[in-house]
Amino acid sequence: MSIEEPGKKEVPLTNLKDGESGIVVSVKSGYGRAWGLKKRLMDMGITPGTKITVVKTAPFHGPLEVIVRGYRLAIGRGMAEKIFVKVERVE
Amino acid sequence: MSEKKLVIALAGNANVGKSVIFNYLTGLHQHIGNWPGKTVEKAEGTLHFKGYRIDIIDLPGIYSLSTYSIEESISRRYIAVEKPDAVINVVDASILERNLFFTLQLMELETPMVIALNQIDVAKKKGIEIDVEKLSEILGVPVIPTVAIKGIGIFKLLDKAVEVAGKKTRPKKVEYGEDFENAIRKIEESFIDYDLPYPRRYVAIKILERDKEIEEEVIQKNPGIISIAKEVGKKLEEKYGHSCPTLITSERYRIAGCIAREVQKIISPPRPTLAEKLHEVTTHKVLGYLVMGIILLSMFFFVFAFGNLLSETLSNLLYGLKPFLTFILETGFLGELFWGGIVEGLIAGATIALPYVIPFYIALYILEDSGYVSRVAFLMDNAMHKMGLHGKAFIPLILGYGCNVPACLGCRIMETQRERLIAAFATTLIPCAARTVIILGLVGRFIGIQWALVLYVFNLIIIFLLGRLAFKALPGEPTGLIMEMPDYRLPHLKTVLKQTWFRLAEFLKIALPLIIVATFTVKLFEEAGLLEAVNTVLSPVTVRWLGLPEAVGVSLIFGVLRKELALIMLANLLGTTDFSYVLTPIQMVVFTIVSMFYIPCIATIATCVKEFGWKKSFFLTVFEILFALALGGIVFRVLSILVNLF
Repeated sequence: MSIEEPGKKEVPLTNLKDGESGIVVSVKSGYGRAWGLKKRLMDMGITPGTKITVVKTAPFHGPLEVIVRGYRLAIGRGMAEKIFVKVERVE
Repeated sequence: MSEKKLVIALAGNANVGKSVIFNYLTGLHQHIGNWPGKTVEKAEGTLHFKGYRIDIIDLPGIYSLSTYSIEESISRRYIAVEKPDAVINVVDASILERNLFFTLQLMELETPMVIALNQIDVAKKKGIEIDVEKLSEILGVPVIPTVAIKGIGIFKLLDKAVEVAGKKTRPKKVEYGEDFENAIRKIEESFIDYDLPYPRRYVAIKILERDKEIEEEVIQKNPGIISIAKEVGKKLEEKYGHSCPTLITSERYRIAGCIAREVQKIISPPRPTLAEKLHEVTTHKVLGYLVMGIILLSMFFFVFAFGNLLSETLSNLLYGLKPFLTFILETGFLGELFWGGIVEGLIAGATIALPYVIPFYIALYILEDSGYVSRVAFLMDNAMHKMGLHGKAFIPLILGYGCNVPACLGCRIMETQRERLIAAFATTLIPCAARTVIILGLVGRFIGIQWALVLYVFNLIIIFLLGRLAFKALPGEPTGLIMEMPDYRLPHLKTVLKQTWFRLAEFLKIALPLIIVATFTVKLFEEAGLLEAVNTVLSPVTVRWLGLPEAVGVSLIFGVLRKELALIMLANLLGTTDFSYVLTPIQMVVFTIVSMFYIPCIATIATCVKEFGWKKSFFLTVFEILFALALGGIVFRVLSILVNLF
């Protein structure tokens, strides 16, 4: 399902700079209370293998604005930290 | 000749124009209420079409049919158990992939359905062209392109919906990848006596996905099947390296993506539209806040300017009727009781709550329909997080400074019941316009405006602390913002006005009787000469604990009806409006703090009852009374010590 390429590290989505994209590897969470939020993220289209682009971050450490599956989504910072991606750097 | 009856449900993502279609179909024949036992709004309407009487149910706007939220589980149960004759799935043509993800789940419920491919004009502007026939063929469901705000395609949509309802056409089966199909088949085959309300295949998929609700239902009938599903699921997990819920969601999205790519053509790379430029400005790190300030302030002034005007006009009109009414009713005890109790209550309801609720609803729906609310949430998310809420809660909080009633109603924009409750709790503590009268009229005027400001800041600190406390105390998931920011669009005025009208009717039905009963009771006490007794009974609290004059007891009770009445009654009872003669500065501060927190006024309580039910509203009210009294007493003692020291 996912293509492994050497030299690309998994980083949380919050590490991406404005305008950068990545491929979702996993959404980390236990089976506890945060499980519902993970499900919700996936229902919104953030599933492994999906391309996600960070458009910008709201000031004061606010949420991230991302483009995923052709639409605009705002994700709170705490949750964005749980989304792990492989970065696609534009040279 | 009796009409044949049909029930058609509208289902789809949020922000796809579902409510526009609903309003177009049902016009003025609709009813807004709640789902039985739930605080989720239920909109129903009827229309007559080709010899049918059709009931339309507008299901909540959701992105999936899992059990993440009450809305999702209500929708799922409704479609599976109540079995409407047909479902109209409203789809946003410009975000086809994500919308199809929901469509696929609807199809699995095997109800006859039609797709309204809405906002086809917006999609075209974005350079997206969709092969409607191909889409219809792939899904086995009729697809009708629509532009709901212009009414285009709606007739055909209804016609098709009636047709599939009559023929009971089932949508095609959603084919998953081979490994998944094998797993589903294995689970399906292990059902023996199957009698769940859901389709067999659907249940198999759902228990593979570890859906808690369905699992429980299955356990009661066929406990063995869960272990089979677990076993089958484990194999999938080992092969693909993700958990089953993740795998199935991914698989559905893969299928949705395939279909979307097959039927849509991206003609031209979209150039930035006006909507996108607006988005840039309104989410900008500097300009965004500036624009937000301007928009929210104008909304605030619009609501209160319009509200004041309406309130004054209505009260002049209603009080103008007084001589006429007293003439008919003859004066005396009963006349007084009627006027003071029932009519005054009616006037209070009509002049306090109503005038502000109307412009508020209009403003809120315009902000929501246009897509602006999500931008505010984006900008304010971090600040609100400190209180355990997310960005959207900022809107009701700001409105609370005007009137708590619309602000409480505004808490609906929060997603979960728990967030709504915390937001409403914080909102009822915000000093509204009436409490501002007390703060400015007492502390501001007789002690100094800077002390009034200190009280506002003090109030904010307390709200923040209590908000955090409520966040910790109430069970539930941690909050987080996961919110679509839909493209800006012009709000559809007709829909906005209809939404306002029907919600207003619903509000009056619940709030007005409560306000009247409360006014009547207070009047009854007054007429029976029991007010003195009330003061005496309350004196241990008012005099001994709070250090205030005895008359405060009654005035605080009047404050329940309208907050500013607390001050007005106090002036009446003390026989002067120059409070510096009768109250010490400490007493003024204590009185103001108690009024600020002690209870939401009767109209706000009524609103809470409507939104959260009796139990929670009662708890909230009692808590606020006890808290205000405790705080007042503490402030009284602390200030007394400080004054003695200096």
